[in-house]
Amino acid sequence: MSAIGRIRSQALDAGKFVTDWMEHRTGIVTMTEHFLYEPVPKRGAWIYTLGSATLFCIALQFLTGILLLFYYVPTTDHAWNSIYYIMNDAYFGTLIRGIHYWSANFLLAMIGLHMTQVFFSGGYKAPRELNWVVGVILLLLVIVLAFTGYLLRWDQDGFWASVVGMKIGSYSPFVGGPTIHFLMGGDTIGPATLSRFFAIHVWLLPAALAPFIGLHLYLLRRHGVFGSEFEYTERLAKLHERQRLEEFQRHERDHEEDPYEDRNGRE
Amino acid sequence: MAELQKDPMTRGDFLGFGVLGAVVGAILTIPPVAFVLSPIIKTDVLGQSNVPDDWFEVGPVSEVPEGEPKNFVVEFPVNQIYSDEEIRTNPEHVQTGGEVIPNAIWVSWQTEVLPDGSVGQSRRPAFIDGGGSLTEEQIREVEQNLNVLSSSCAHLGCPVRWLVREGEGLFLCPCHGGLYDINGGYVGGPPPRGMYHYKYEVREDGNIYVKHEFDVGGDKGPQQPYVV
Repeated sequence: MSAIGRIRSQALDAGKFVTDWMEHRTGIVTMTEHFLYEPVPKRGAWIYTLGSATLFCIALQFLTGILLLFYYVPTTDHAWNSIYYIMNDAYFGTLIRGIHYWSANFLLAMIGLHMTQVFFSGGYKAPRELNWVVGVILLLLVIVLAFTGYLLRWDQDGFWASVVGMKIGSYSPFVGGPTIHFLMGGDTIGPATLSRFFAIHVWLLPAALAPFIGLHLYLLRRHGVFGSEFEYTERLAKLHERQRLEEFQRHERDHEEDPYEDRNGRE
Repeated sequence: MAELQKDPMTRGDFLGFGVLGAVVGAILTIPPVAFVLSPIIKTDVLGQSNVPDDWFEVGPVSEVPEGEPKNFVVEFPVNQIYSDEEIRTNPEHVQTGGEVIPNAIWVSWQTEVLPDGSVGQSRRPAFIDGGGSLTEEQIREVEQNLNVLSSSCAHLGCPVRWLVREGEGLFLCPCHGGLYDINGGYVGGPPPRGMYHYKYEVREDGNIYVKHEFDVGGDKGPQQPYVV
């Protein structure tokens, strides 16, 4: 055996040892296999990537958002200027902020497509109703994230869009006023409004989003992707099994002589 | 029922745990909830405002022309978090740009609006042209014939502007196309009511002064302009 071959086999052994070690302790290899080799119907297989695309956009939001926080200053006198700095002076600032901005737009589009696919394929039906509910919670969280992120630019566009959005909310009966006062941090738009939107956008909602994503994925793993081939084969097999069983029982009933017929009074 | 429990809880225990739980629960929940909801407590329960309850100078009433509104800019001081009273009154100590928010106020003379939409007679008194100080009677006449309007659209709060086309002017909201006449009355579009009127007064020096209060409630509806 040559030296290269020996090194190769040793490296393979080491790699196998590490993966076995990890698999034994965390089960991560099986999990990765589940995620990477999901059996989906051949026809329209691409629409099964919409959920992953949504998750990818969210991951991008987290990563670029963390990067933007290195420069962004959440005060009324510095917010606009700090973004101006990101866009003009910081290296790749335009790229990082551009990704955050466009990925946010694509995220909402992806969620729309993902929901449409689940809706029209009937993927929300039993036993996956709760995954739909969790998905709707995620949608609402993302919408509020998009709304609160808009104001953080503190430019005319974001400012007035937030005013309009908050006034729409303020028309809600009974809770409208307190809700808008909570968001504005008082009875006027001011420095507190920016601080609160910042806190909601950067800490509260991402922290709330993460566990719901985990729950969404857990429920997905528990029931599998809807419409996958094995699910249909399994269901068909069960159906055939039941049909065979019923037929057999009917056959038995029709032909078997009941030895206790007289005592039970059955026909 | 008692025999089902291996370690039965007495009524005294139950009461003790209940009281302890309530106390600990209150200690754990009240501070963070009050911390986050303090604006609601201050504005909706205590009725406080971020803008001081003072009169703010708008500008000389003699500058308001006939048949057309005049735009004044008023800087309302906003007391929210770091732009508090102390920082505002010691500008050399901390410089912040967030302590005042300039706000546009439209002032016009009450003008008759004819059924076809064209404007009729303006109620601008002639003695106003000279400027200068006003007598008490003149003040009363001016105050009765003035519109002091918030630029916040009554629909969703965008700032309205005065638009003149073919000699006829209207307030137009750029967001959703709300329209108001020169008196701030509703003309068209989505707003549920006319423009908000400020609480105002005219003083001997010929200047208009406003408070950060609006004509809400009653048939005007409960909504606030919200934007300073």
